Amino acid sequence: MLRTLAILLALGSIGAAQAEELVPLKIELPKPLFVGTPRPIKVANLEPDQAANAGPLMVPAGTALLSLNKPVTSSDSSPVIGELAGITDGDKSGDEGSYVELGPGVQWVQIDLGGPAKVAAVVIWHFHAQARVYHAVVVQASNDPLFKTGVTTLFNNDDTNSDGLGKGTDYAYIETYKGKVVDAKGVSARYVRLYSNGNTSDELNHYTEVEVYGKPVN
Amino acid sequence: MPRTLPSWLPLVLLTLAALGWRTWDLAARPMHVDEANQAVKAGELLESGRYAYDPGNHHGPVLYFAVLPIAWARGQRTLAQLDEVTVRLVPALAGAASVLLLGLLAAPLGRWPSLAAAAFLAASPPAVYYSRYFVQETLLATFTLAAILCARRWWSTGRSRWAAAAGAFVGLMQAAKESAPLFVLAALAALLATRGATQGPAPRRPARDGLVAAAAALAVAALFYSSFGAHPAGLRDALSAYGSQAARLGSGDTGHEKPWGYYLRLFAWQRNGGLVFEQAGFLALALAGLAAAVATRTALLRWAAAYSLLVLVALSSVAYKTPWHAIHLVPGFALLAAGAVAAVPAGRCFRVAAAAAALAVLGLLVHQADRVARAYASDARNPYAYVHSSPDVLKFRGLADAARLRSPGAPVRVISEEYWPLPWYFRGMDGVGYWTSPPADCDGALVIASAGLAEAVHARLHGAYDPSYLGLRPGFVCVLFTPRK
Repeated sequence: MLRTLAILLALGSIGAAQAEELVPLKIELPKPLFVGTPRPIKVANLEPDQAANAGPLMVPAGTALLSLNKPVTSSDSSPVIGELAGITDGDKSGDEGSYVELGPGVQWVQIDLGGPAKVAAVVIWHFHAQARVYHAVVVQASNDPLFKTGVTTLFNNDDTNSDGLGKGTDYAYIETYKGKVVDAKGVSARYVRLYSNGNTSDELNHYTEVEVYGKPVN
Repeated sequence: MPRTLPSWLPLVLLTLAALGWRTWDLAARPMHVDEANQAVKAGELLESGRYAYDPGNHHGPVLYFAVLPIAWARGQRTLAQLDEVTVRLVPALAGAASVLLLGLLAAPLGRWPSLAAAAFLAASPPAVYYSRYFVQETLLATFTLAAILCARRWWSTGRSRWAAAAGAFVGLMQAAKESAPLFVLAALAALLATRGATQGPAPRRPARDGLVAAAAALAVAALFYSSFGAHPAGLRDALSAYGSQAARLGSGDTGHEKPWGYYLRLFAWQRNGGLVFEQAGFLALALAGLAAAVATRTALLRWAAAYSLLVLVALSSVAYKTPWHAIHLVPGFALLAAGAVAAVPAGRCFRVAAAAAALAVLGLLVHQADRVARAYASDARNPYAYVHSSPDVLKFRGLADAARLRSPGAPVRVISEEYWPLPWYFRGMDGVGYWTSPPADCDGALVIASAGLAEAVHARLHGAYDPSYLGLRPGFVCVLFTPRK
């Protein structure tokens, strides 16, 4: 009797399981609301300043600024606004006239340190007058001015390989007046090259200042 | 007015050139917020056949209904099929028509000056820019020119049908945008101000013709606001819109308040972020035309001067200012500039100098129009690209499609205080939701959060997500959370 009951219960549960066929859960999602012309943004909607909690980068004693007033070349030899020399002129302000504007798409700038150096850090200020993120930022160092041999990639957040230098895993970041500090880990190089591919505001590429810190190799 | 084909030809060719410029590569510029939400409205009308006038954030109904014939001609029947080219063809066609209309309106100035007036409008930076921009302003400006031209034909011929046509265009003006009465009143006031220079009317029964015009205007406006009878409440809303708009503008907190000289500055010279935008030559020529209007007794020039000044004062005296209103000043300024060309004394040297000045101004306008409408079409420094979407908005759809392919059952969540124009780019896509604050469940195939809400959204995500950034518009950054593979 008990055995028969158990069989019936088992069959019943199978039937119930068969009746409860699983289907995708459909969730009604909220529709977009119509709005008027957005207000011009005067206050940047910056995310919390993560860099503020990171602490300073530790570098070897004797590390100095090597890039000040050093020559700069670029994939865009005729910038839309400004001159390439402005990238290493020491002016990091976010004001108009302090930045160099390169054309749309993938562009690079290259700093010649004048001789081989143990590079400790590269600090980049693209444009910090407004909250924006530059796409596909890659920083490389080499002793070859053409960057064909002996290239070390110091930073790469190009997650779609739009620069054609390989996918990177570093995070993108919102520009602030503090700049982006890249740890160069003492790589030996005479040239530093920086790539980008537009930004979240437009398709252009900007540099307010780039600083390369390290020690010259005698 | 030119009567033979050869004399019409330059104006027709100029209109075709204007049309070509206004329709070239229409989809290239990202959709502005205003364009996007109006395009979605037009798409809903196309798809469902239903439209209800919204006096809150939207203007007159003509813009949406005007999309329909173009969409049908291009084989588009749903919101998903609708594209940028279809919706932007509406202002583009209207903008090209305005060139033809101004050329006809300027005919009393002479053959070449009237062509010059049309050319100035054809190459005007704001006129070119907003003829490629899916908002009501170009329609309103074009209907205004058409109404004025018809009214003048009625005045000179006395035929009632021109009065009816003028009235119908006034109705279209009203159905394009609620600010239409301003331009009707300015046109009439300018006529009164210049009555000494105007010939008497030809119509025998002006009062009857006036009633015909008013009836035509009311009928046309009522048809559109009531959605051709399907939504009678639209008529009531069309009237109530003035109260709500006045309260909004009167609050002084729309975010679009600007100094009184804003519109004049657009026509003068400005340097934004290292880029120069100017129409100083055109403005100088228009000012010379103003002097010519005072010195001579040309009725059209005097009317253009009075109309332009009235519109400029009216627009400038309201704190709420947006750059698209500038296009209402262009036809009057173009007439005045052409009047300056026409007013030069007889003599070969003077004529050559005037032609050279007109060509130089035209060349500068062409250069500036190309700059604002193509080279810097969505750049924040472009004074006409007002709070414009970033080119990045073109990347969202591809990422959302890829995310839905990876996780077919999971939604795409947009969690941001502001998210337009994304609903346009996600049109026709299932499983997309919009929130202005983080919901309890934030997980999805792709989670798009404003930078301001990103931290709160991230805290509610389960599992590993990779963040990346895209811009909605300059200064407004979104964080995209993609589930890690």
